[in-house]
Amino acid sequence: MKREITLKINGREETITVEDADTLLEVLRDRFRLWSVRESCGVGACGTCTVLLDGRPVSSCFLLAVRAAGRNITTLEGLSDGQSLHVIQQAFVSQRALQCAYCTPGFVLAVKALLDEIPNPSDEQIREYLSGNLCRCAGYADILRAARLAQERQISKETAMPRK
Amino acid sequence: MTIRSFDLLQPRSLAEASDLLLKHRDEARPIAGGTTLVILMKQRAVHYPYLVDLQSIPGLNRIAKEVDGIRIGALVTHRTVELSRLVRNSFPVVAEAFSTIGNVRVRETASVGGNLAHADYRLDPPPALLLLKSEVTLFGPGGSRVIPLKDFFTGMYETALEAGEILVDVKIPNMPTGSKAVYLRHSALSANDWPCLGVAALVSKENGRVRELRLALSGLAATPVSVDGLEFVRDCSFDDSVLDRILGIVDEQIAPFYDLRGSEWYKRRMARVFVRRAIAQLESQA
Repeated sequence: MKREITLKINGREETITVEDADTLLEVLRDRFRLWSVRESCGVGACGTCTVLLDGRPVSSCFLLAVRAAGRNITTLEGLSDGQSLHVIQQAFVSQRALQCAYCTPGFVLAVKALLDEIPNPSDEQIREYLSGNLCRCAGYADILRAARLAQERQISKETAMPRK
Repeated sequence: MTIRSFDLLQPRSLAEASDLLLKHRDEARPIAGGTTLVILMKQRAVHYPYLVDLQSIPGLNRIAKEVDGIRIGALVTHRTVELSRLVRNSFPVVAEAFSTIGNVRVRETASVGGNLAHADYRLDPPPALLLLKSEVTLFGPGGSRVIPLKDFFTGMYETALEAGEILVDVKIPNMPTGSKAVYLRHSALSANDWPCLGVAALVSKENGRVRELRLALSGLAATPVSVDGLEFVRDCSFDDSVLDRILGIVDEQIAPFYDLRGSEWYKRRMARVFVRRAIAQLESQA
């Protein structure tokens, strides 16, 4: 069945017609050209298709787009303001936590969800939270360092500029 | 489009959902969290012309405290169970079992009811829920009925759900006084994989003496197994002869088979290792 739905993608309301069988990943890539959302394993194991649904990490590859109607969807493109990199992205760059970078958008969003949920995670919590994101260039040590650095910078940023 | 075309039907009530399932019979399937089902449809392992969306029915995603236990709605996600203060404080073994599944994204979408109704033989929640003698509420054309979870699993991927019936919630009775429980999973492949097997164990004691031992297992037969015949452990200590007898009973009641995660021989060996380990862990906490 075709139907019209409204998705809030990176803060913008978008009304489109989708098939019930369309996955959110297909809609984000094919209709909105959000290329940071990538399909790899196709079964929720690898994390390259990670998006945030109302702030929570989900695999867009097996989420039906119609079931995301009315919800807030954040992709990597929505993380920064378009001018400067988000603190998590900066940490990935400074720690060289990427090589081919296919997995990076998923990792960055996973770190975002982690720090939103647990502002001061233990090393064990970081590892557990990120265990569902796979990096085949094997940059895990760098990625874990980037996650820690992002957490420290985020904390110091919040101390310097308290939220309104 | 990867998935073959289907219609997502969005009922507003259980009665309406039940009618839709009855009307379309084998052509329809309820969809809860839509984790396993959507993946199977993507892989074209299954196809249903109609999916009946249980997310559109209000009230199925609540965890409620009751005098004699808690009730978890079918649409509650694994992640919600894992993080629920209520569950963590009063039923840590249940929180533990749900927290070991897949990864955080899977747990954000997968639902308690979907997990049970899928009736896979190697999932983590069933042993923990069987251990605590949970019951499930089923709603169907004839109204509601409540059955023990033990009787819900009837075969591999088969349940007691009849045509037009929907799993509504699972009721977990309070842990027996003086009891402790643990869930151990053995991953033969990666940690995010399905378990090779899972062992849930509960020991309750009174004045330092063993009153009861319960064991529930997954991955070791076509359905999860709730082990019977353990009453003899009352007032015993878990010495080698008692443990041997327990392991003998377990060995008789399981029927493991070869899959990617191990042979029958291997699973029988690992069942012994993990049952022993679970009891030892509970004893060391005492």
